[in-house]
Amino acid sequence: MENKAVDTGSAGKSPAVFFGKVRDKLRAKIRGAAESVRTFFRTANSNTFASMCLMGAGQLMYRQWAKGLIYLGIEVLFIVLMALWGGEAIYGFFTLGLVRGDPWTGVEGDNSVVMLLMGILAWFVLIAFVCTYFANIKDCYRTQQDVAAGKCPAKFLDEAKGLLDKKFYKNVLFLPVVGVLVFNVLPIVCMIFVAFTDYGGETVPPELVSWVGLDNFEKLVALADIADSFFKILGWNILWAVLSTFINYFLGLGLALLLNKKCVKGKAFWRAFPVLAYAVPGFITLLGFKFMLSYGGPINQLIIEHGGEAIGFLGRDAKWMARFIGIAVNAWMSVPTTMLLATGILSNMNTDLYEAARIDGAGAWKQFTRITLPFVVFSTTPVLISQFISNFNNFGIFYFLRGGLTLDGYFEASDTDLLINWLYNLSIDNNYYSIGAAISLVIFVITSVISLAVYVRSSAYKREDMFR
Amino acid sequence: MRSYMKKPVGMLKFKKAADVGLTYALLILVGIIFVFPCLWLVLASFSKTGSLYSFDGFFPPDYSLDSFKTLFTDTAMYNYPQWFLNTLLVASMSCIIGTLLVILTAYTISRFEFKARKPLMKITLVLGMFPSFMGMTAVYILMTQFNMINNHWGLILIYSAGAPMGYLVQKGFFDTIPNSIYEAARIDGATNARVFCKITLPLSKPIIVYTALTSFAWPWSDFILPKLLLKERDMYTTAVGLMSLPETEFARFAAGAIFIAVPIVVLYFCLIKYMINGMTAGAVKQ
Repeated sequence: MENKAVDTGSAGKSPAVFFGKVRDKLRAKIRGAAESVRTFFRTANSNTFASMCLMGAGQLMYRQWAKGLIYLGIEVLFIVLMALWGGEAIYGFFTLGLVRGDPWTGVEGDNSVVMLLMGILAWFVLIAFVCTYFANIKDCYRTQQDVAAGKCPAKFLDEAKGLLDKKFYKNVLFLPVVGVLVFNVLPIVCMIFVAFTDYGGETVPPELVSWVGLDNFEKLVALADIADSFFKILGWNILWAVLSTFINYFLGLGLALLLNKKCVKGKAFWRAFPVLAYAVPGFITLLGFKFMLSYGGPINQLIIEHGGEAIGFLGRDAKWMARFIGIAVNAWMSVPTTMLLATGILSNMNTDLYEAARIDGAGAWKQFTRITLPFVVFSTTPVLISQFISNFNNFGIFYFLRGGLTLDGYFEASDTDLLINWLYNLSIDNNYYSIGAAISLVIFVITSVISLAVYVRSSAYKREDMFR
Repeated sequence: MRSYMKKPVGMLKFKKAADVGLTYALLILVGIIFVFPCLWLVLASFSKTGSLYSFDGFFPPDYSLDSFKTLFTDTAMYNYPQWFLNTLLVASMSCIIGTLLVILTAYTISRFEFKARKPLMKITLVLGMFPSFMGMTAVYILMTQFNMINNHWGLILIYSAGAPMGYLVQKGFFDTIPNSIYEAARIDGATNARVFCKITLPLSKPIIVYTALTSFAWPWSDFILPKLLLKERDMYTTAVGLMSLPETEFARFAAGAIFIAVPIVVLYFCLIKYMINGMTAGAVKQ
C-alpha cells in the first residue's frame, strides 16, 4: 500500500520518473514470467504436455473424465467454429471484402462493414480460446503437483461446487462482462478500426471499404472545409464545457447553501422546485424551451404585443444568443443535480469546524472559502470530472434547441454544435462514418487527457485522508 | 450605557432581518424559475386549441380536457397509447435486468479480491471516456445482423447490457458496509450466494432503490437509441413519438409530456431521500 502511494506521488511530479518506474516494473515482471516458464518446462510431466497438445488429454489421463471431456469439447467446438466461420471472418478482417456486389449480374458481393464486425468478433473468440487453452495447461499442471504431493486428483463435483462458491465472482461477473463486451466494447473497437478505413460517404456497401491508414486524421487537420470546422467547433466545445461546468457547479452549491441556511423554514417545500426540474425528463424540458423560444412562441408573442419585432432566439444568426441560451437551459437542467449532491455532502459535514472558526472570529465569507468550499470540492472532484466530461459531450441541448441547422463556414454543422453533435450529423445523418469515428477518437483523447490531468492534480488524489 | 448598547443590537437585528428577507426573495425567485416552464406546459396541455400560435402570450385563452382526449383516442397519426405501452415495457424490463446486473457487478467488485479486479475497473474507466454514441453505427449494424431492428427486446438488451458500466456509485455504497459482517457469516459456513441474498440485499435497500429509479428513468426518457433502432411509427417510444409532433400539435405534445413526466416526478419525490443518499455514496467514496 505504501509502495503504491510513493509511486503515484512521483507520477504527479515528473513523467520521466513515472515511466522509469513502469519500465523497471515491467522488466521485473518479464523476468519473473520467464523464470516460471523455465521451471514449468523442467518439471512438467507427460500428462501436462499431453494437455498442451490436445486440450483435456492430460486431465483424461488423470481420470478426470468430466473435466477432460469439457476441455476436449471446447477445443473441438473451437476448431469447427473456426473452420466454418472464424477463419474466413479473420481473413475478411484483413481484406474487408474482395467481390463487389452487382445487382445486374446477380453477384452477391461482400459487405465490408459486416466483415469488419465479424472479423473483430472472431478475434474475440480467438482470444477467449487462447485464454481457455492456458487455463487448461495450468489446471493440468496443478493436478500434477497435487499428485506429486500425494493427493488425489480433484473430483469434478467438488471442483464444480468450489467454482460455484469460491469463484463466486466469476459466475456473477460472467453475464455483465459478456454484455459489456458485445454491446460496448465490440462497437467501440469496431469504430476505432473504422477510423482507419474509408467507410462512409460514397463508400458504403455494396461498394468495398478498404484500409487507408491515417487519412481521416489528416483530413481532420488539413482538408480545408473539415479542418476549419473542426477547430472552430473544438474551441467552442472546450469553452462550453468549462463555462457550463463551473456555472452549474457553483449555482448548485450556492442553492444548496441557501437551502441549508438556519433561517429557512420548510426546507422540503423549497427544495421541491429544483427537484421538479430534476425529475422532468430531459427531452421534455428541451422541447418545451424550444417551443417557448421559437418564432411563434409565447416570448415572441409578448414582444410583438408590446410593439417589438420577433427575435429569432435560436435562429440562423443568433450565434452568441443561442450559445448563451444553451448554457442557461443546461443550468436549468443540471443545477438541481449538483444541489442535491451538495445537500447530501453538507449534511455529512462536521459542524465542529464552524464552531471553532466562529470562536476564532472568522466571518461568514471566510468560513465559506476556508471550510465549506475545500470540503465540498474535495468530496466532489470525481463528480466534477464526470460532469465536465458529460458537459463536453452534451448532445441533447443543441440537438433539440437547434437540431438540423447547418451554417455556411461549417461543414455539416452550426455554430452552436459541439463535437458530439457534429459527430452525429456526420455519421448518422450524412453517413461520413470514418470521419465520425476519427472525431470520436479525438474526443476520447481530449476527455481522457483532461480528466487524468485534473484527477492526478486534484487534492482528492494527493491528500486523500485530510477530511477523514 | 444602555443607549450605547442598543444601537448595535438594533443594527444586528436589522441585518438579520435583511438577510432573512434576501434569502426568501432568492428562494422565491429560484422557485419561480424552476416552476414556471413546468406550469406553462401543464396549462398548455389543458388548452382548448392545439396550436402554439393561438396562445395569448404564455397562456392559452380557453381551457378544456380536449387534448388529453385526442391524445388517447385519435391514434391514426400519433398512436400515443401504443407508444406509452412500448416505453413502459422497455423501461421496466431494462430496469429489472439492469438493476440486477449493476448490483451484482458492484457488489462483486467491491467485496472480492481477484486478479482481474483492477484491470476491469481501469477498462471500464477508459471505456467511459469514449463518446456515448461513438459505437452507435456499429450497434446498428450488429442489431441488423441479429435481426433486432424494430424490436423492443433489442433496446432492452442494449440498455441492460450497458448498465454495468455505471457500477461506480453502487460500488461506493458497498464499500461502506464493513467487511466483518461478511466474515462472520462466512465463518458460520454460509456460501457466497447465501451471504449475498441474506445479508447484502437487506442492507442495500437504499442503493437498490436508487439504481432501479435511475435505470428506469434512463430508457423512459432516452431518444437517441430508440430513434436509431425503431423505424415504424407504432413501435416508437414516447420520446421519439413526441419529438415527431409539429408546433401546431403543441397542446398534444404538452399533454403527452405531462402524462409521462408525472409518474417519474412522483417517483422522484417519494424517493428523494434515497436519491440523495445514493448520489452521495457514489460521490464521496471513490
